[in-house]
Formats: sequence, structure tokens, C-alpha cells
Amino acid sequence: MTVDYIVQGALNATDPIAIGLMVLGILLGILMGSIPGMTATMTIAVLLSFTFTMDPANGMMLLLGIYGGAVYAGSIPAILIRTPGTPSAAATIFDGYPLSQQGEAGRAIRVATIASFIGGFISVLALMFFSPVIANAALNFRSPEFFALAVFGLTIIASVSGDSVTKGMVSGLLGMLVATVGIDPITGYHRFSFDIPALLTGVEFIAVMIGLFGIAEGLRKYGQGIETDRERVDQDISGTLPSLSDLRAILPVSAGGGVLGSLIGSIPGAGGDIAAFITYNEATRWIKDAVPSFGDGNIRGVAAAESGNNASTGGALIPTLTLGIPGDSVSAILIGALLVHDVNPGPGLYQDEPELLYTIFVGFLLIYVFILIFGLLGANYWAQLINIPKQFLWPIILLLCVIGAIALRGNLFDAWIMLGSGVLGYAMRLRGYPLAPMVLGLILAPIAEENLRRSLQLSNGSPEIFLTSPIALVILLLSVGTILLPAVRALRE
Amino acid sequence: MVKQRIADAADRVSVGTLLSHPLSVGFILVSLVVIYAASNFPNDSLFGPSFFPILTSVGIIVFAVADMLNGAETELEMGDIDVRPPAVVLGLLVAYVLVMPILGFWVGSMLFLGVLLYYSGIRSLLLLVGLSLGVPTLLFYVFGRIFLVRLPEAIVPVSRLLPQLPLVVGL
Repeated sequence: MTVDYIVQGALNATDPIAIGLMVLGILLGILMGSIPGMTATMTIAVLLSFTFTMDPANGMMLLLGIYGGAVYAGSIPAILIRTPGTPSAAATIFDGYPLSQQGEAGRAIRVATIASFIGGFISVLALMFFSPVIANAALNFRSPEFFALAVFGLTIIASVSGDSVTKGMVSGLLGMLVATVGIDPITGYHRFSFDIPALLTGVEFIAVMIGLFGIAEGLRKYGQGIETDRERVDQDISGTLPSLSDLRAILPVSAGGGVLGSLIGSIPGAGGDIAAFITYNEATRWIKDAVPSFGDGNIRGVAAAESGNNASTGGALIPTLTLGIPGDSVSAILIGALLVHDVNPGPGLYQDEPELLYTIFVGFLLIYVFILIFGLLGANYWAQLINIPKQFLWPIILLLCVIGAIALRGNLFDAWIMLGSGVLGYAMRLRGYPLAPMVLGLILAPIAEENLRRSLQLSNGSPEIFLTSPIALVILLLSVGTILLPAVRALRE
Repeated sequence: MVKQRIADAADRVSVGTLLSHPLSVGFILVSLVVIYAASNFPNDSLFGPSFFPILTSVGIIVFAVADMLNGAETELEMGDIDVRPPAVVLGLLVAYVLVMPILGFWVGSMLFLGVLLYYSGIRSLLLLVGLSLGVPTLLFYVFGRIFLVRLPEAIVPVSRLLPQLPLVVGL
């Protein structure tokens, strides 16, 4: 029975119109994902209305193409200019940018492409075959489990802090503090918003991210002398496919990232950004004696982050399609797209619309095959973008940063937030503070705060609530292990 | 060993330590202000709106102090960094955002890009004019026309001045 649906889904997904829409969606997604500030959510939201007159399966092919393309393409500016195109690509910077500084941007993009394909493909397979089981497990997550997950995410600060864990902690906590601006998630009280309307809903996280990475990097480049172009790096653009040794190195980590990213993506609220940070951290924990070290341009770091964030796309569709609960902001819009066609995502979807469901599954697999092809063919061209003289490149990037910040909500205030974050980021870089923990803090603080407070309120202030939940306990023990193991290893050495 | 480290840290407590860590001092001061402001939030329980801001602020203070007392030198070498060019670029960015409500996105972007390209060392008039006119116009079509982002127009009604996209691509 399932095989029949898979065959029917394959026939629908390989229809020329469906293929054309997939390709169009992927190309649009790649274009938008590679512009900092333009997110998959925004692109899909804008183009949603075009799918209203389409067959629901064809409409989903366009939207899923944008989704996959944008999540993949966020890695391109992360690798080339140290500015993630989408929040999901923030962890790709750690090893992707050093690789491009060593003249290996093409190699980094090829690795990101292969890892994105593996991560995405595994997640869609998980969506096809394990979605009911995973969705039920994710449904068991309550406040203590969500808080434990946020703590687990925060343990990553130690591994992305570079030379100074204390500076990393300050940076991470600063991000968490910034995230408290706006409406209190539990009481609705306005915190630190100073009656500024744009601050009532909080500081726009993507504007902060563009400032921290884009503006701060631009200011740093000008500080070093843009006219002298000291950082010009000749890129190796030979070949289209990664070498066999690279493939051998990244296949296990990409497969692991794919499985872990699918699991994280399936938890409502935990998107590609969290998935990428966690898979990157797990790679640094499991791969001992990495050469070069993680953070110095190790291709397995790029593979871990990219397989994790792309795997979250299929993972996010698991609760979306099987329970009607969006896994992330994009899947929330996808629910809207299905509802327009009188298709109700939820447990009944397997009985009511099996053909549509398997068309989406097979179509999403095909989308990742196309991303693999386009990514490998385009890697060398994108790698050469970095060699555009900095005198041209950085004025245009800075302009794009401002426009990207304004485009988020059509609000000039976000441009000021971005500029402020840029100045802070530049000052922090000059003083040796790592910026990645701040992004991590911004992402995880809302989940950590709301669920910590709800848990403590439920237990009348007793922290025992975190120990009586088996899932929360396991995750917290993993968190403690993540922090203690490197320390024990260092002591032994 | 621990006693020795505490004694070493205590030795480092001085005005010089504070002056050599301006950012850490700044973070501590901001955290103190946040704690003061948050303590005035209406709290009907221990875990009210002020709980998390105070918790994170205390954390910042603890780690910033630890960082100042930590002997490890992690600051970057600032000797080869000239702070004037970043200040000029930042000034241009601030001016660009400031004048956008007056001049609008299109004209403001042209001026910003032209001046920044010139400051970055581009002297070819063709490139300066071509890029300053072309890039903002292209961005207007991508953001304003395709993605329907509301960009400030102000004195120049760019959406009425520039032709619709089908006319541009010849449809």
C-alpha cells in the first residue's frame, strides 16, 4: 500500500510542471538565502499567494524548493564573507570562513553542498518512514524538557568560545539579556521597551545578527585598510566534485548530522539554527584530534553544521504534517498554504491525502537532488565572488546589510538596531570576545526563559522537576557531560 | 593551587585592570543598570518578569569580573588597526539611515554608495556613477517590486518614477 503511494507520489513529483516549480523555487531560495536578511520565511510568505491557484502538490513543490534552497544558500555568504545568509548558517562560519581565507572557498561550498544534500535527504527519509513515531516523542516535550534542550544548546558556548570561555560566557549571556527586551512571555509585561513600538515585540534577532557579523566585519576590513586589499586570497577553483578523501572525511559526520538534525528539527520551536549549533558541537566533541582543529577550517565542521541545518527542514515537517504543529516558522506558513486548499495537516492527513503526502515526500527528495546538482555546478563561480575587489564588494555588502535590516519588517528602527549591534560586534572583536555565543544566547534565551519559569512555577520553585522527567534528566546529564568531558580530558593530559 | 590562583587574582585588582578592560567594565555597568531597572518590575512571584534579566545580568557580572581577573591575555593586537576608517564608514552608515526618511531609499542609497565607493578608493567616474545608479535601482526591483518590501520613498516617489517590472523585461 505504502509502495503504491510512493510510486504515485513519484509520478506526480516528476511531472514537468512540478519539476519546473521545484527548480524555480530552488533558484529563488538560493538567491534569497544568500542575501543576509532575506530569510526563507519571508520569501515563502511573499510568494505564498502565487500558489493559491495551483494544485496543492505543485504549490508545495515551489514552496519546499524555496525552503531547501534558502537553508542551503545561507552557507554561501557565511563561507565567503563571514556573514550568514540565514540564521541557520551561523555555525557554518566557524570553519567555512577560515577555509575561504585559505583559498578553499570552492572546496568549502562543495562540502556544504554535499552535507546539505545528505542532511536534507536523510531528514526526508525520516519524514517518510518515521514521522509518526518521532512526532509522538516530540509531543512529550513539556517545559522541563524544553528547558533542558535549551541548556544543552547553551553548553555549546564552551566549544565556540575560542581562547576564552569567560569571554564566551559574557557574550552568550549578553545575547540572552538582549533577548529579554519586549513582552514578557508569561505575564505580558513590557520589559526594556521604553515605549518604542518596534521594541514591544523584542529586538529583531536577524537585524542583530546582520550587525554582529556583516557590519562588524565590514568595519574590521576598513580598519585593516580596504585599499591595500591585504586579504586577497587566490581561490582554488579546480574541479566540480569534492575529492574522495574529502568525501570519506565528511560522509560519517554528515550522516550523523542528518540524523541528529532531523530529530532536533522535529521538536516544535527548535529550528535549523539550533540544529546546526548542536550538530557542530557534537562533531567537535566526537572527533578527537581533528586536523586542522575545528574553527581553523576543518571541512568536517562545515559538514556538521550544514547537514544539521538542512536536516531540520525535513524534521520540521514531521510535526507539521503529522500533528498540524509547525516545527518552525517556515512550516507554519506551509500549514497555511495547505489550509488554503482545504488540506488539514494533522493525524488525519495519512488517511485523507496519502497521495499528496507522498508527492511532498518524493518531491522534497528530488529538491535535495537538484540542490546537490546546482550547488556543485555553482560552487566555483560563487567562490570567485570573494575575489571581487574589496573596494567594490564591501560598500555593496554594507548597503545590502542596511536594506536587509529594513526589509525584515519594513521598519527603519531595525536598521538602527543593526548598526548598534555592528558597533558592539566590532568592539567585541577588537577585545577578543567571540560573537557566536551571543547569537546562540539570542536564539536560546526565549526557550530557556519561558520554560525555566514555567517549570519552576509548576513545581513551586523546586528544581526537582528537571530530575523527575526522564527526557529532561538525560538531556541535562548530556549537558553536564559536554562541559565536564573536555575538562577531564584536559586534566588527564 | 586554588589558593595561589585566588591570591594572584587579588593582586590584579587595581584601577589599571579596570582601565585595561573597558568593554568588561561597560558590560558590568550595563548589568547593574539592568538589575536596578528589573527590580522595579511588578513581580507577583519570585519567577516574574525580572527573574531572567537579573539572572543573566548577575551571570554577566560574574564572568566579566572573572575575565578581568583572569591573567590570560586574550585581547587582539590593536597596534595595526586604524580606527579612523571604521569611524568614517560608521558615520556614513549613520548618515545614510538618518537621511533615508528625508531622501528616501533610492536617492539615499545612491549617495551612500557613491561616497563610500569613492572613500574606498574607486576613482573611475564611470564605475562610480554606474554602480551608484545601478545597484540601488536593481535592489529596488528585487525588494520593492518582486518581494513587495516597503522601502522609504520620501521626496522621490521611486515606485511611480521607475517602470513596472514587466515593462523592464520587455513583456
